[in-house]
Amino acid sequence: MASRDIVHYDTPLSKAFRWFSAVFIGFYLIWTLLPIFVMFVSSFKDLLEAFKIPAVGDWMGAAVFFDFSPTLTHYENLFRNLNFTSYIVNSLVAAGGSALISVVLGSMCAYSLSRIEFRGKSDLFFWIISTRMAPVVAVMVPLYAIFRSLDLVGTLPGLILAYTTFNLPFAIWILKGFFDNVPYAIEEAQMVDGATRSQAFMSILPLVAPGIGAFLVLCILFAWNDFLFAAIIGSGGAKTLPVATRELVQPQNIQWGSIMAAGVVTTLPMMLLGLVIRRYLVTGLTMGAVKE
Amino acid sequence: MTDTALPYDRAGGRSESLFRVRQILDSVESRPAASGVTEPIKLNPKPSRAYFYWLMAPAIILLACISLYPFFWMIYMSLHDVELGSAVWNNFENFTKLATDTRYLNGWMLLFQYSAMCLLLQIGIGVFLAVALNGSRYEKFLVTAFLMPMMMAPIVAGLVWYFLYNGTFGWYHWLFQSLGILGAKSILASPTTAMYGIVIVDVWQWTPLITLITLAGLKRVPQDQLEANMVDGASPLRNFFSVTLPNLYPVLLIAVMLRFMDNFRFIDSILVLTGGGPGNATKILPVYLFEVSFKFFKLGRGAAIALTLLVVTIILGMILVKVFDRQNRGKA
Amino acid sequence: MFYTPKDAVFSRVSRRKFLEMGGAAASALGVGSLTLGLGSTITRSRVQAQSSDEAKWKQYAGSKLVFMSENTPPSFAIRDNIKSFYDLTGIDVTILTDDLPVVQQKVGIDLRGGKADYVLNYVQDKPIGAPFGDFYADMTPLFGDNTLPQDPDGYGDDAWFENFLSACGRFYKEGKIVALPYDCAVACTFYRQDLFEANSKDFEAEYGYRLEFTPETTWKNVTDMAAFFKKAKEAGKDVPYGYAQHHGNFAWTTQLDIQRMLFANGRWMDWDIDDVYGSQTPGKTNWGDAQSIEIMQRFKDLADVSHPDNLANGTLELNTVYQSGNIAMQVQYHEFAASIEDETKSRAAGGKTAYAVCPKGEPSWIKNGGQAVNGCNCGIGGIGINGNASEDMKRAAYIFAIWSVSRDNQFNVLKGLGGTPTRKSVLAMPEVQAAMNRPTTMPNALTFDAVYDKGIKNPNFVLGPKIPQANEYYSILAGEVQKCVSGEQSAEDTCKSLQTQLDELNNAG
Repeated sequence: MASRDIVHYDTPLSKAFRWFSAVFIGFYLIWTLLPIFVMFVSSFKDLLEAFKIPAVGDWMGAAVFFDFSPTLTHYENLFRNLNFTSYIVNSLVAAGGSALISVVLGSMCAYSLSRIEFRGKSDLFFWIISTRMAPVVAVMVPLYAIFRSLDLVGTLPGLILAYTTFNLPFAIWILKGFFDNVPYAIEEAQMVDGATRSQAFMSILPLVAPGIGAFLVLCILFAWNDFLFAAIIGSGGAKTLPVATRELVQPQNIQWGSIMAAGVVTTLPMMLLGLVIRRYLVTGLTMGAVKE
Repeated sequence: MTDTALPYDRAGGRSESLFRVRQILDSVESRPAASGVTEPIKLNPKPSRAYFYWLMAPAIILLACISLYPFFWMIYMSLHDVELGSAVWNNFENFTKLATDTRYLNGWMLLFQYSAMCLLLQIGIGVFLAVALNGSRYEKFLVTAFLMPMMMAPIVAGLVWYFLYNGTFGWYHWLFQSLGILGAKSILASPTTAMYGIVIVDVWQWTPLITLITLAGLKRVPQDQLEANMVDGASPLRNFFSVTLPNLYPVLLIAVMLRFMDNFRFIDSILVLTGGGPGNATKILPVYLFEVSFKFFKLGRGAAIALTLLVVTIILGMILVKVFDRQNRGKA
Repeated sequence: MFYTPKDAVFSRVSRRKFLEMGGAAASALGVGSLTLGLGSTITRSRVQAQSSDEAKWKQYAGSKLVFMSENTPPSFAIRDNIKSFYDLTGIDVTILTDDLPVVQQKVGIDLRGGKADYVLNYVQDKPIGAPFGDFYADMTPLFGDNTLPQDPDGYGDDAWFENFLSACGRFYKEGKIVALPYDCAVACTFYRQDLFEANSKDFEAEYGYRLEFTPETTWKNVTDMAAFFKKAKEAGKDVPYGYAQHHGNFAWTTQLDIQRMLFANGRWMDWDIDDVYGSQTPGKTNWGDAQSIEIMQRFKDLADVSHPDNLANGTLELNTVYQSGNIAMQVQYHEFAASIEDETKSRAAGGKTAYAVCPKGEPSWIKNGGQAVNGCNCGIGGIGINGNASEDMKRAAYIFAIWSVSRDNQFNVLKGLGGTPTRKSVLAMPEVQAAMNRPTTMPNALTFDAVYDKGIKNPNFVLGPKIPQANEYYSILAGEVQKCVSGEQSAEDTCKSLQTQLDELNNAG
């Protein structure tokens, strides 16, 4: 089904193209993974080893990159001394909480939007999605002031609510697409059989459950990776991993080893989650515009 | 979304089941009757409408509180000289002053410059990569590998690249120097190259998204037409430009808009890498806005800048939704 | 104040130990605020003037206070040491630390919004004090209050180093004092004696004078030295660059960097305002005059022969460059000495580095008829009390404030994490006196002569400009100076552009 399959005869041009693509893909693969690899390896180097670098143009010297004795100090440092365990918990609670709220409220809203018509519905829908598009920096000041007056700053509930500002519209937008694909006839049939409205709603949930699950994960990913909200609304009592990682830059000189280790700790779970929901990723990242 | 996920979603033909652009603005006319659904969705009878409104209410109310309320507050602030607690009406001065604020105007220019550079590179590389990957034996594996940067928190990406760029111990700096691309000055140490520095990071992180989108789009290119052209003796290259690419335009347009809006939204990595410097060379508008609001504490001016940024975002958003919409109609 | 060199920590306390302490404190903080929120609460038992000192310290036992501070060594040291404060007073103080911009923002909203979430604030003189000074509580009525514990050394101007109290405590007028000096970062020259000695002959052959750094060394000499090292390095000799500037992405340090050169040459200042108290209406700026253009050009010339990464290196990165042996000289804040003297992290340790006052002005560069001085500047962090807090809360906060700036506490910080004292009496302590010479257990003390005996003394010291728009001024200045240094804009255009923008900033156009 791929375009190349039908070109079963090779022209010199297509051959060249194939060679070139292979080389290009190879380079691109290295380019994509190298920073992650460097981060990973550097997290096991002590400071002086991480600073070893060959002379300019000394290509063979690049081997010094691997010349180190692996150490777990930085990880120990993060967990034993810097309290990263509690930052992980904060990240999990904040990201998970907001994802959960967003998906629960979002599916209720999306379901309704999918089932009824009313005047101004498209405007409402546009407003919902535009809140998701708004630049974070732009809304931060008023949001902070509001959270501040509700005593939510520096608390996990505050952070959960902050993340909901971008996760909820996202969930509504995406989930509506899911419900649109479930025919109303199913609920109708249920209600004819004597089910209440709510029972009818519940009965179709299993049909969209896998999708909802995937988008729950995606919401977690967005919230987990957030920095600005976490730094300004969460910091203090609800410090998350990205903020804690960033903080390693300043007060402790530049603790590169620990920063890299913290980077690994922050990134790895999301990479794994990313693999799990790979199928939904494109849909999610394009706000449902493109499906794989 | 796949058939297993949604048993009731048996969408049309082979290509559609692999790729569908979802209906965005919901109206009865544009609802894709062709989506294979057994029965078109009926509007509800009146009596149960209240139920739906109740169901909708919590989300809408919550959203209103956390987005609408701050929005009006922002408008209010933008019209006043804000001292939080005291706000003095200042005759649109926050806005009129923007017209002569060189850093503001510069910020717009840099934002567009930055976005244009990022997008050109991302589309160029991303599309080529997708075409090269499409149908490859290793497609699944490679795509998975390419996904990885997108999973990384932008702030972490910024820190890692800051480490790589460092003029004293950065490996990429060594690489650039060894390749003769850069002199002793590291990439972030000169206003002429710092912009490339931040563009590279964005390209690294988000090109895979373009590749993924394009890959999805490629599956949707009508194969029969390609084959027919082939038989007529069209070269693969010509086929690409006359059939494949036009089919990709809509998805690419969507990708462009999304990336463009993300450049408005996320400045995490720029804050770490350059903070807008050196010499304001990377002070794209959102970074300047961050400065005005959080460093200078000019909340009124910040709100005015934010509003102009928001207006442009909303215009982009409207175009985006239109594009989604046209996609749907075209398909229906 | 600025970024804290981590290595500063290790002079006495082992790294592991320190991190453990920090971690424990941080976890207590994280969990505490999660369950209890951030509010301050007050419980009080009445005391009289005749009550015992102990009763006075303990009168707010059971209260809770929140201190919002920058992530600097004293804050970490005090956080580690908070138990002794609790034992003394029964007051539970939560110390939150953040990056300066975040601190500014949170403190700003708190102060201006009429709230007192953070009863105690870190008042960095210009970035926080200058815009928000009016919102802090006046401490003067509390100084003489005999129902409160008081510091035996007192709080008069004499108790602190010259001008320190005014720098962080007085804004725009005399009378009200809003903060007590808590820590400071004063600029001084760090240079590699070993490299200077090794290259002295070559240098003398070329420039006709000895390669050495004295209080008479001028900015012109520094430029010569930087040029000399750069040339030698580029000729393949095994020497580092000679000099480097502070740019990077923290605008304030860029401003301080050029300010030293400007002030050294004819004591030039941005505005004709009181340097100690500052002004809310600074009027027209002096940028654009002949003197400023001259120095802008000289600053660029120096940049041209400095480390190529100038524009990417902030204060902290610059120190890393020096630590790694890649420059022979830097003008740096004295709190960084501890990180330089750490053998395990620094190639400039072990007596290779000497500390001296900042370079002097060059008479031939002075166009305004002013004096050539060893222009030196600083950031002085104070501890202040939120003006919105209730009377009792202010009193309780005051008890913490005077404890945190007491002689003994400052001495502990200096010993432990490499702090920077603000009280004269700390310097008078025999242990500190002894530590001012090698071998030392308190590396920061090696700089004390250059800093406290020379740098901050008249006529070398420039404190301002204290203006309400300080932060935007830093940003404008840094942007324009960097444009000039990178060669995008001539010195004259830069100064003229600064003149226009700064006058507009202060509505003085």
